[in-house]
Amino acid sequence: MPMVSRPQFLPRLPTWSRKALFALALAAICFAFAFPVLWLMLTSVRPESGVYYVHRGTEFTLGNFAEVLREERIVEAFLNSALIATLATVFSLLVTVSSGYMLSRFTGPASRIWFGTIYVFRCVPYISWVLPLYFVTQSWGIYDTYIGLLLPHVAVHICFFSWLMKGFFDGIDPSMEYAAMIDGCTRWGAFIRVAIPSALPAIAALAVLCWLFTWNEFLFALILTGNRVPMITVVMAQFVTEMGLRWNLMAATAVMALVPAFLIALFGQKYVIRGLRI
Amino acid sequence: MFGEQQRFVLFLIAPAALLLLLFQVVPIAIGANASFRNWALYAPKKTWIGLDHYYAVITDPAFLYVVLPNTFAFMVLSVAGALVAGLALALLLNRPFRGQKLVQTILLVPLMVAPVIAAIMIRWIFNDQFGIVNVVLEAIGLEGQPWLVQRWSAFGIILLTDIWLWTPWFTLLLLAGLQSLPKEPFEAAAIDGTTTWRVFRFLTLPMLRPVIVVCVVIRAIDAFRTFDIVWTLTGGGPGRSTELFSLYAYVHAFLNLDLGRGSAAAIIGGLIILVIGVVLYRLVDRIAKA
Repeated sequence: MPMVSRPQFLPRLPTWSRKALFALALAAICFAFAFPVLWLMLTSVRPESGVYYVHRGTEFTLGNFAEVLREERIVEAFLNSALIATLATVFSLLVTVSSGYMLSRFTGPASRIWFGTIYVFRCVPYISWVLPLYFVTQSWGIYDTYIGLLLPHVAVHICFFSWLMKGFFDGIDPSMEYAAMIDGCTRWGAFIRVAIPSALPAIAALAVLCWLFTWNEFLFALILTGNRVPMITVVMAQFVTEMGLRWNLMAATAVMALVPAFLIALFGQKYVIRGLRI
Repeated sequence: MFGEQQRFVLFLIAPAALLLLLFQVVPIAIGANASFRNWALYAPKKTWIGLDHYYAVITDPAFLYVVLPNTFAFMVLSVAGALVAGLALALLLNRPFRGQKLVQTILLVPLMVAPVIAAIMIRWIFNDQFGIVNVVLEAIGLEGQPWLVQRWSAFGIILLTDIWLWTPWFTLLLLAGLQSLPKEPFEAAAIDGTTTWRVFRFLTLPMLRPVIVVCVVIRAIDAFRTFDIVWTLTGGGPGRSTELFSLYAYVHAFLNLDLGRGSAAAIIGGLIILVIGVVLYRLVDRIAKA
């Protein structure tokens, strides 16, 4: 077996310059991707007087964070967003794992119809159903409540996540479940005790994605909530219009909103990368 | 009435189907009903007016000559940009080098940033008086631009923000696809001394095509409904020149308080994307079978 070298990037240049070019290109790309976030962080630690000259001040302060945390509405928005994101993750998984399992393990008209339905509703733009959902939640009396925001968030993930979950279950050999059923397990037993444990990495990947999507979602919160359930994305968008000139406070709020998402993503990165093979 | 297996199947999808029914099917039906009525806050009678709203939307010059072209241009350019960038980065990350893990983590940063936050950051960076872009431009002797109040620069910035946000998504899925490709054809090509470009053009690209197509379909459908970054970056302005379809429906329903007209616009957009979605699905099916 001969050693095979990979085709090289720019093969005619000498090795050292090729390596340098490669490193330079990498650095430039990383910079482009990280710069907006770094700039936001830098802005968030500048005092009010220095915020317009972020690039050349040397004063730094954590006062912006303290000031933001004194605003009751912002703290409440953080708590609400975290609560809704967590609950939406739990409920979405409960609902979509079983629906994806059904799509993967059963063929026939029921499965085909359900798959078609999911595909069609995946295409429907959010605005087309969230806009009238505004009347619906009002007439059901759940406008601007936790339930009225949570359930649409669960509903929106059904299509995409059932689809992803079907893909995961397709990659798991069903013979273990058949073996369990021959040994006297019911269908439910085979699903809960055999199929779900072997799909746990994929379920973890979905949990991470679901939490991030819900934490970052804006349109639902904008339309389905008023003053009683402030969500962090809506509060921040209002910031832009109402406190447009206080960039240091806005940056501090945005940085705080990034932290939980970063932690979740860092923790879940390996599951997502492993789980997203389609 | 049902066999044991049918009952099991039914139970598996019942919660999902129920939620879908209550929170998507019912609202869409109610929205359709509203779109045929004079349903505005100042008109409590909700008189049936047939297709008037639809007619008003499709003959509205703003919708026809600004919103629709914007939406389609945005969809095509944003997907194409993120696909090219995402594929390039996936190819880069697919070869081993020192610090690869770190680079990968940095490249995934935009995936964690809420679109609203991304829009706020970009707005600050492109601020006409104090934004770093203008500061740098003026430092090297060029003239700073009021980026977000000129139509084309504003549109370009919205596009750039979207590509920044969604490139990692393509990178992630395409990298997973690249890593699951069989090794043998690439080894054979290397033994034959095939050039990098030819390996990419005749091996990588065709083998990766199913993954690429699925990514493009998912993203295209999502790009069509983009709302948050436009809302936070420009609010559709200057004037209405960067309005996309979702914003158009939102503005009519909640700012002009004409819920009927907004619903009609939302349904027209839904129908357009449904047609695109079905066509794309056929395409995926054909490519998957080929």
